Amino acid sequence: MERFLESPIKELIDRFPALGTILEEYGIGCVPCSVGTCLLRDIVEIHDLSPGDEEELMGRIAAVVAPGQAVAIPRSGRDRAAAPRNVSYSPPMRMLVEEHRRILRFVALIPALTADIDVETGKGRGRILDAVDFIRSYADRFHHAKEEDLLFACFDEGLAILKAMHEDHRRGRACVQGVLDAVARRDAGGVARNLAEYREILTEHIRKEDEILYPWMDRNLTTRQVGELYARFREVDETFLEAGERYEAFVRSLEGQYLDAVAEVGR
Amino acid sequence: MSGFSGCPGSRMLEFQKEDTPEGAAEVRIASQLRQWPIQLHLVSPAAPYFQGADVLLAADCAAFAMGNFHNEHLKGKGLAIACPKLDEGQGAYVAKIRALFEEARINTLTVLIMQVPCCQGLVALATEALRGSSRKVPVRYVVASLQGEVLQEDWL
Repeated sequence: MERFLESPIKELIDRFPALGTILEEYGIGCVPCSVGTCLLRDIVEIHDLSPGDEEELMGRIAAVVAPGQAVAIPRSGRDRAAAPRNVSYSPPMRMLVEEHRRILRFVALIPALTADIDVETGKGRGRILDAVDFIRSYADRFHHAKEEDLLFACFDEGLAILKAMHEDHRRGRACVQGVLDAVARRDAGGVARNLAEYREILTEHIRKEDEILYPWMDRNLTTRQVGELYARFREVDETFLEAGERYEAFVRSLEGQYLDAVAEVGR
Repeated sequence: MSGFSGCPGSRMLEFQKEDTPEGAAEVRIASQLRQWPIQLHLVSPAAPYFQGADVLLAADCAAFAMGNFHNEHLKGKGLAIACPKLDEGQGAYVAKIRALFEEARINTLTVLIMQVPCCQGLVALATEALRGSSRKVPVRYVVASLQGEVLQEDWL
């Protein structure tokens, strides 16, 4: 059992597909994750199940990976009782979650934005480049830089969960480069495909961070670190104040243009 | 129905405890206090130990109720204590906490209160100070039971 705990989850689910269903039952949504490099031990710890649920889950996993064998069922490694399940963020995490809301508002508009892509006229290309500017400047340079340079630096960068988050960021950046390459080729289909992939990656990435990663980080950050992160995030916000207002106006203006599409997403 | 209908903060209770057996090893717990004074009226936000510090604002009763107050709550922090029920001049408290935010530029404030309703007043004072402060700081609150267990903790 110990060696399974140290295995990447995607390898385990590929080998034992029933594990995916079992994990889903405990609110652990690893099946759709496109990275899947997190170790089973880390996943169980990060999801902070109650001791009873964790023991039951480990027993069910053992029954799948070693059927009919008597196996010792290890705990994930946590040495304390699970915290209450209601998610409450510390102030710096709350700032990041608020930024996620703005990014998700933009991402929700991508299907409408790509429905009538125009790569032939300067005006049409300008609209695509405005979207790329939002992604690169707001979602990446401003938001992801806060995560990568400040938040993730509080933890062991070798953690599989952080590597998975970095990989999501890298894949998002590759999609944006794909959009720019497609614009240069006047390839409307390429623009739409890359934006759709970006939407898929970011939607899932933000869900993982809001529901799993940030609560786990909040449980592990010291009070000192929370205060320092908050102060540094505010410094970043101050340097980005004017641009932040501009990008909010950009998302609002897109929502104004595609109000029906937004309503459709909200239904 | 309880025969007591007054303030829960003043309700008389007795907690049965077993005495430590004779000869049992007693561990000396070192104090984590690193400053004086500690009463909120007396502390100065200009004191060097408050500059950039993580500060604990504890209800007067908390340290007596919590067996491991020094190691679990006070360690590494500057301290101020107050009673939101009995202390006078609480307007000055709001100004003092605000000065900790703005002038001492503290890193965080943790408000440690007891579960009795009157103790919520200390969180209210910190909230009012934060609302009026030009500099925002993470403020956390911890609620302790009368037996010193942590019942709730969260960020404002």
